Amino acid sequence: MAKKIKQIAIYGKGGIGKSTTTSNLSAALSKLGFKVMQFGCDPKADSTNTLRDGSYIPTVLDTLREKGTAKASDIVFDGFNGIYCVEAGGPAPGVGCAGRGIITAVELFKQQKTFDDLDLDYVIYDVLGDVVCGGFAMPIREGIAQHVFTVSSGDFMSIYASNNLFKGIKKYSNSGGALLGGIIANSMNVGYAREIVDDFAAKTQTQIISHIPRSVTVTQCELKGKTVIEAAPDSEQAKVYTELAGRIAAHDNSKVPNPLELQELRDWAAGWSDKLLELETGTVVGGTAAGI
Amino acid sequence: MSTFIERPKSSCALGGALTTLAGLNRVVPIVHAAGGCAAGLSGVYSTAAGYSGTGYCGGNMMPTTNIAENNVVFGGEDRLAEQIENTLFAMDGDLYVVVTGCQVEIIGDDAKAIARQYADKNVIGVSTPGFLGNTLRGYDAVVSALAEFVIAPQEKKDPKTVNILGVVPGHDVFYRGNLEEIKRLLWLIGVRANTFFSVTDTVEDIRGYGDAALSVVLAPNVGILPAEKIQDVHGTPYILSEIPVGPSGTAAFLRQVGAAVGADPKRIEEVIAFESGYYYSYLNGLVDTYSDLDFGRYAIISADGYYAHALTRFIANDFGWVPHLTTINDITEEADQARYKKLFDDITSETKPVVVFEQQAGQIIKHVRSSWALNHNEKYYDALAPAYVIGSGIDAGLAEKLGANFLAVPFPVSNRVVLNKGIAGFRGGLTLIEDLITQLVSAR
Repeated sequence: MAKKIKQIAIYGKGGIGKSTTTSNLSAALSKLGFKVMQFGCDPKADSTNTLRDGSYIPTVLDTLREKGTAKASDIVFDGFNGIYCVEAGGPAPGVGCAGRGIITAVELFKQQKTFDDLDLDYVIYDVLGDVVCGGFAMPIREGIAQHVFTVSSGDFMSIYASNNLFKGIKKYSNSGGALLGGIIANSMNVGYAREIVDDFAAKTQTQIISHIPRSVTVTQCELKGKTVIEAAPDSEQAKVYTELAGRIAAHDNSKVPNPLELQELRDWAAGWSDKLLELETGTVVGGTAAGI
Repeated sequence: MSTFIERPKSSCALGGALTTLAGLNRVVPIVHAAGGCAAGLSGVYSTAAGYSGTGYCGGNMMPTTNIAENNVVFGGEDRLAEQIENTLFAMDGDLYVVVTGCQVEIIGDDAKAIARQYADKNVIGVSTPGFLGNTLRGYDAVVSALAEFVIAPQEKKDPKTVNILGVVPGHDVFYRGNLEEIKRLLWLIGVRANTFFSVTDTVEDIRGYGDAALSVVLAPNVGILPAEKIQDVHGTPYILSEIPVGPSGTAAFLRQVGAAVGADPKRIEEVIAFESGYYYSYLNGLVDTYSDLDFGRYAIISADGYYAHALTRFIANDFGWVPHLTTINDITEEADQARYKKLFDDITSETKPVVVFEQQAGQIIKHVRSSWALNHNEKYYDALAPAYVIGSGIDAGLAEKLGANFLAVPFPVSNRVVLNKGIAGFRGGLTLIEDLITQLVSAR
């Protein structure tokens, strides 16, 4: 019997550092000795760039469009430390249906049993922003990923996107879909950002799997087209990602989150807005400790 | 909880668009949709509308983009452009109409914009995804597009020319016969009718419809949108009327339209008198047998809004049967239902019909039972008999349960062939009587 492959989906608002986090996670997991595939689910098709020295790979959908069929050898590419890289791809902006594209690409892999053939330990889906339609929820449906992590900063819109994702997870949890592993809190340099994300996690009955500080090392490595794990393996940031990988490797108990209703979320955000204003105007003592 | 319509009596908006296009001469549809939509929907109307066929270019001949998964993911606009060019190359037509299915509208293909690129080759585009609504919405979309892109604007109107709207080809199984009779009668009172869908109407004729001084909508829930479009684009006002069936309905129709366009009232009355004489002189022949063989019936009418009141009025006011129950399957808004129910104020029979709005064919039997008092030791036990069901082909089962005779009139009709037969006007009333009574004597 084939071994159980751990499939993980990573969601988050665009620009929040999803692909950076995912690529470093994949790289760190591979360094820990696991066989990893990173599956980019974004029409931009740039999820795996830093695993391949900044280069783009042909996407599943482009290959399907051009050749009519797509074999694993056409669409799975080697990346850093033997990581398998796949990009679902999608239509040009403004035409067609990117959501259906994700479904098409993921189903192709299921049909061809590519994951089993490659003897993988991990498949990590890096999925575009909000769960805007059924297509982007594909990786969390039954039989695909088991665990979902969301990358979020303390920024309200990023939390809003996470909350939407939680709604999607809750919906599919009734039909055997993926459950929530936790929040990967990104760009955690100012103290209140950390407090906001922690508070949101508590409110929605989930956990923060890791706090990842903003780091110039990441930018430097990305400019070289590499992950931190590859280009700066001894840096502090590399340790952070390795720790994250260790926690995710050990993680096996995901849960149904408790998303906030829209009004609840607004009230919660308004509460934080008042607190931040108080911090700024010095009403609250302890600004330095709070990172102001 | 959502519900469903059991045994629906219409198709989707794309089906409505296709049957509308099938009613236009030398018009070629180009269906931008997944495989199956075009032929499937075309088949519905060719076999369930009295075997009227698929029109000039329908059924398996119909050009379609037949989009596949790649087109859904990457967009199907290029495929549509290709299909338009192939169709222009292969099919000879006076007008090419791009219509759309659900899939391409969900992904946001701009089919109308692609069609516009071929405007100089007589191509127009209409948005008709199935989810727009039922058949009637497809008719509305196509005829509105004809109003906008095909009918040429004309400053000068002919005060005695009218557009006839609301008669949906195929969905009114008798549309061509009906339109011919309406055209004939209006001609007699000095009014020219633009009918779009008669056997002789051409695209060139339709281009000239801009001279109409009035549009007449013959249905309560279809044709109004195109009438408004014609009003916006061509400045032609409209009135709401009804498909006229038999003497009283047709007399009212001729007086209404005649007054609206300023036709000579004396001439209108002369025409009504002459046509009534014609009608009754033929009916006269049946009267002896009618009395001797006791052809009187309780009538249960199950129809769409287009036919329900028109048939009930004919049965009750003209023919003299007892209108027991009339159910209407396609008017769902409460305000529209209240308005429609008021039409029945003109029923002059001693017994007034129970009027019910019911979408589910299988529920009609319940309305029959709840409208007929159970036995309270009266002399006649449960005696809703002899009864006669006038309904769509789907209602044949109802007639069977009731032990009633049955005639299919509203869509779908698949148990008889309808060619040039119509039930509108004075002559249509006679045709309807022939068909109704033929059922009673057919076993002899």
